[in-house]
Amino acid sequence: MLEIKNLHARIEEDGTEILRGLNLTVKAGEVAAIMGPNGSGKSTLSYVLSGKEDYEVTEGSITYAGEDLLELDVSERAAAGVFLAFQYPVEIPGVPTMTFLKEAMNSQRKERGEGELSTPDFIKRVREEAKKLEIDFNMLKRPVNVGFSGGEKKRAEILQMSLLEPKLCVLDETDSGLDIDALKVVADGVNHLRSPDRAVIVITHYQRLLDYIVPDTVHVLSKGKIVKSGDKTLALELEEKGYSEIIEQAA
Amino acid sequence: MDSALNRVYTEGEKALFAAFDSANLSGDARDEAIAALKQNGLPTRKVEAFHYTDLRSLLRGDFTIAHVPSHEDARKAGAAFPRLVDGAAVLHFRDGHFLDFGEAMPAGISVSTRLPDAATTNDVANALGQLNMAFATGGACITVDANAKVAQTIGIAHTPVATQSLAASRVAIEVGSKTECTFVERGVGPDGNTYLHAPATDLNIAEGASVTYTMVIEEGADARRLGRLSVWLAKDAKLKLNVIAFGGKLVRQELNFVVQGEGVELEIAGINLIGEENHIDITSRIDHQVPDTTSTELFRNVVTQRGRGVFQGQIKVAQPAQHTDARMACNTLLLSDDCDFSAKPELEIFADDVQCAHGATVADIEDSHLFYLRARGLKEDAARRLLVKAFVGEVLDEMEDEALAETLSGRIDAWMERHV
Repeated sequence: MLEIKNLHARIEEDGTEILRGLNLTVKAGEVAAIMGPNGSGKSTLSYVLSGKEDYEVTEGSITYAGEDLLELDVSERAAAGVFLAFQYPVEIPGVPTMTFLKEAMNSQRKERGEGELSTPDFIKRVREEAKKLEIDFNMLKRPVNVGFSGGEKKRAEILQMSLLEPKLCVLDETDSGLDIDALKVVADGVNHLRSPDRAVIVITHYQRLLDYIVPDTVHVLSKGKIVKSGDKTLALELEEKGYSEIIEQAA
Repeated sequence: MDSALNRVYTEGEKALFAAFDSANLSGDARDEAIAALKQNGLPTRKVEAFHYTDLRSLLRGDFTIAHVPSHEDARKAGAAFPRLVDGAAVLHFRDGHFLDFGEAMPAGISVSTRLPDAATTNDVANALGQLNMAFATGGACITVDANAKVAQTIGIAHTPVATQSLAASRVAIEVGSKTECTFVERGVGPDGNTYLHAPATDLNIAEGASVTYTMVIEEGADARRLGRLSVWLAKDAKLKLNVIAFGGKLVRQELNFVVQGEGVELEIAGINLIGEENHIDITSRIDHQVPDTTSTELFRNVVTQRGRGVFQGQIKVAQPAQHTDARMACNTLLLSDDCDFSAKPELEIFADDVQCAHGATVADIEDSHLFYLRARGLKEDAARRLLVKAFVGEVLDEMEDEALAETLSGRIDAWMERHV
């Protein structure tokens, strides 16, 4: 599904290199956890995958579903099935959430050559998915993320993910700002989306989220590289020993 | 001070004076107005009120007085622009002349189609007043009877028929006490016609009356508009004014409000969409003369390509006007490197117990918003349009007439298709 080879990326504005030769393979159906200390490049990886123009790839490749992902712009990647659940979803005043959801779903459908959803079908789908995530439908009448609590924003991200049915989900510290109850709801939402033809990358600092979204593989990111990979027990080991010991051992 | 004798006139000034000489426009007031224009010349940026709109250099020629068009031509010219409000009773002006298409006015409204009286001064800053005084041909005096509740919208439609017409008209509206009524004034014309439209409207709102007024400026891409709306508000009068401007090439719209009765509530909200090489200037002046009145003014401007926008917002609070609550905001999106916007709030406050606030912001579309929308699959154009629409949407959302807001929303979408 996703193959990242020797990826080097820097911040376009000041040239600071963040990713320094990252290799990662994620198969269809796999849930891969990326863990690492602050500043290791976790968020940069998620932005580079989504195509944010603030980052420049200087070396290496990203192959997604057999295609060169770096050739696609942000919206093309989304339409191709790449979804980034933001660590800090932005508030967009004046844009009603329902209008946004409908535009997003329909522009992706259009890009894929599918017909637009009718309004009743669209509303029905949103109602169903919102219910599963315990999202009050009235909340969706408000502008995008405006006045949402931290937990509501994260739920709204998972709602968008459920509606857009991506093939590659990238969850950037989805656990930050969530209490335990919200964490469970969000994790349930993600678990519902697990399927043999969908890959999920869970980026997190903490083991806690991985109790609810149990990963198939765990990768430790340090200074812009994957320094160690393993199964879910690696996450437990990290929790126990801390990043520095594991990173030192790997070095 | 320059004198008229050694002044070198521009093409625009020459065209004005030639138009006046060629037309059979008589009367002392007209002569005095044209004499003032000749004496002063058109205002330049040295005149404070025209600092951002140098009328002398911006108003080129290419216009002349047009005769009264035939009914057939007049109808044809109007048919190109479908109505904004279904079921409105509309007064039609073509090339500045009133044309009677026999539209019935609702109960409570009477119309006399004569040129209303007006006053003007020879002050150089009053060029628009002088222009209208000198050239106005068509006119209407609209009276709304006291206590009338008029559900039907009254339309005032201005459209050119001839090419390059100098179209000036004057409408006076007397709104009786405790009435409720709605007006939509619209100036609309085709692209490729360098007409000059100089409409003046005087709106006098009596005690306790409530008026909703929408001014839609959809002049053609090559048109010039020099318009003025003057409003007087008596005790407990309410006015909700929306100004929605899409173009012409050169637009100066003056909005003057005299708040002369206690308890007045004045609410002004507008949208200016400024693209191509258009220059749109909204200059407003609110004069709070008595205690306990409120005014709010909000303009949302979208400027792109080589567009230039101007907002001058003056609020005067006279010494007796205690407890005035006046708020003004002017927010602008600049979407290109070659466009600009000048905002000048101007507060003159002589009372000591008042609340006055003004704010002006200028920004581009927020990158993080754009990225978020694109990351969900919206194409960049669609994402930008959604954000621009959200920016101006607040004004539409607050409009009384939802159907009109919907129609205008469609026009804004069409404008964005071409400009954003």
